[in-house]
Amino acid sequence: MPIFRRILMVEDDPNDVELTLTALAEYNLTNEVVVTRDGEEALDYLYCRGAFATRTTDNPAVMLLDLKLPKVDGLEVLQQVKSDANLRMIPVVVLTSSHEERDLIASYKLGVNAYVVKPVDFHEFVNAIKELGIFWAVINEPPPGSMRSKDVT
Amino acid sequence: MSSRRIVRFSSSSRIVTEGMWRPELPSRRALLKYGLTVVVVCMGLAVALLLERYNFTGVADPLFLFAIALTVWFAGPGPGLLAVVLSAMALNYFFIEPIYSLAVRPAEFPHFVIFIVFALLISRFVKSRDELTKEVAERTQQASLLGLTHDSIFVRDMSDVITYWNRGAQELYGLRPEEALGKHADRLLQTVSSMPLDEIRAELLRTGRWEGELDNKRADGTPVAVSSRWSLQRDARGRPVAILCTNNDITDRKRRDRDIRTLNENLEKRTSQLQASNQELEAFAYSVSHDLRAPLRHMVGYTELLQKGASSGLDQKNRRYMTMILESAKRMGDLIDDLLAFSRIGRAEARKTLFSLEQLVTDTVRETQPETVGRNIAWTLGTFPDVYADRSMLRVALMNLLLNAVKFTRTREHAEIEMGCVDGKDDETVVFIRDNGVGFDMKYSNKLFGVFQRLHQTEAFEGTGIGLATVQRIIHRHGGRVWAEGAVGTGATFYFSVPRRMEI
Repeated sequence: MPIFRRILMVEDDPNDVELTLTALAEYNLTNEVVVTRDGEEALDYLYCRGAFATRTTDNPAVMLLDLKLPKVDGLEVLQQVKSDANLRMIPVVVLTSSHEERDLIASYKLGVNAYVVKPVDFHEFVNAIKELGIFWAVINEPPPGSMRSKDVT
Repeated sequence: MSSRRIVRFSSSSRIVTEGMWRPELPSRRALLKYGLTVVVVCMGLAVALLLERYNFTGVADPLFLFAIALTVWFAGPGPGLLAVVLSAMALNYFFIEPIYSLAVRPAEFPHFVIFIVFALLISRFVKSRDELTKEVAERTQQASLLGLTHDSIFVRDMSDVITYWNRGAQELYGLRPEEALGKHADRLLQTVSSMPLDEIRAELLRTGRWEGELDNKRADGTPVAVSSRWSLQRDARGRPVAILCTNNDITDRKRRDRDIRTLNENLEKRTSQLQASNQELEAFAYSVSHDLRAPLRHMVGYTELLQKGASSGLDQKNRRYMTMILESAKRMGDLIDDLLAFSRIGRAEARKTLFSLEQLVTDTVRETQPETVGRNIAWTLGTFPDVYADRSMLRVALMNLLLNAVKFTRTREHAEIEMGCVDGKDDETVVFIRDNGVGFDMKYSNKLFGVFQRLHQTEAFEGTGIGLATVQRIIHRHGGRVWAEGAVGTGATFYFSVPRRMEI
């Protein structure tokens, strides 16, 4: 059994959340996925504020970030994360519908670790999510201070 | 006596060619002049002798002087000198003791000398008068030339009273000289200046000149804008005496300037409107990219989940329905993607560089390989020059055209695709892509490059109908043209041109 590390998912669309979780579930990657529904909630989680005030302070192994989000949008979240000394090391994967060049450029300028356009085709979508999940939550060695599921359980 | 042509020297002492030193034979006109001189002096002598016969004494001197004056006046200084010599000899011979001898008695010597000196003086005065006449004539001509010029020129004295008024001024202001002369210039022309007239006057006195724009009124009250140049004239002692004003009508120019400014403002307004609508379009495209694809993805996602969960309980017909839903959603996804790519080309800045078209063609042909697996295609590639264009855009255009050729030759067992450059164009590079595919009817050629225009049924050849529209947009962005030739069943040839010169 591989070691699953915690995934933070920032996604406002409930359908996308469900489909993504379904895709991850196919590969048993769902047990450590935290879902936040807008940028503010994501930042609350990262800074252990509000509803997440009581969580353990370890960082997630990866953050799957949508760009178009209510309140605080994805690029703002990305900027905040990458300019914070404690959060900077969290790998951030932008997972979005947009393949607009300006979003790509803006994301990479802010220091994103990967940029994935959600494919329309469900098979491709499932594959993309699976590969993302396996790579970041299993294969990739996260920076020190990231939470491992075995630490929690 | 030989006369010589007068040599004129320019101020730099350069000899003017037409006045080269050149001895000349006395002309008939000169001979006539000298002959007349002799005749006049003889007539003077005859009258003097006749009067003396009747005991009128002392008339010889004035008569000879009169003859000399007459000669100089009409014949010039040369004959005048001859008249002096002849008169002096005749006076000496006939009237001064001893008579009938050229000898002069000491007592008569002063009389004789005074006569000669007086004669020479007369000659000199007459000559001066000649020169004056000539100069006056010259000046008069100059003044009348000034009067002829189209530029409006007038002179005002130091109390601003007009003392000279040329034709140009008359035409510009509609005032005849008699209406303008003696009037106060600024009151007559109702001068309005952005610079106080006192300051103009001060600058003129300081530097000797002034230049600027003034507003005047014509005689009929219509306004006229002039570009005015003032020059100060000083007398020998340096005191300012008059001001020469040259005014040029710039009313039209100013109106044109104003028109150009208005046009420019309108253009700026239009540009900002265009920018605004461009931004709106961009926001729209962005929103399409984001929001339109998401529900589609969900549709596909849930349908697939449904298919997976329920397909065992569905019959053949219902399974087909499910497949149709998926295919339609997939097709809509493709349409959205193509439309977005198409709109992106319109919005993106063309980044032009000089690059090898040959290399690009080779690369693009290689990139079509996934589409040509299992196909029998004979490629013929010509040579291509370097072009100045946006490489990535041109790659998209080439790719579209090549995939088109690959797609529409699918029904051919031996597909042939040829690419090359059309010769004989200096200002543009014309590229063609020829295939032996299904071709098209030329009467629909105008529809080829339209967005969502398709000449084949979807079942026969898949596609969104945006590929050729994208090609056209890319080529138009480069200032080139795109067109096609073909016939049903024999294949099609697509052409596009890219300007050869590098834009600055």
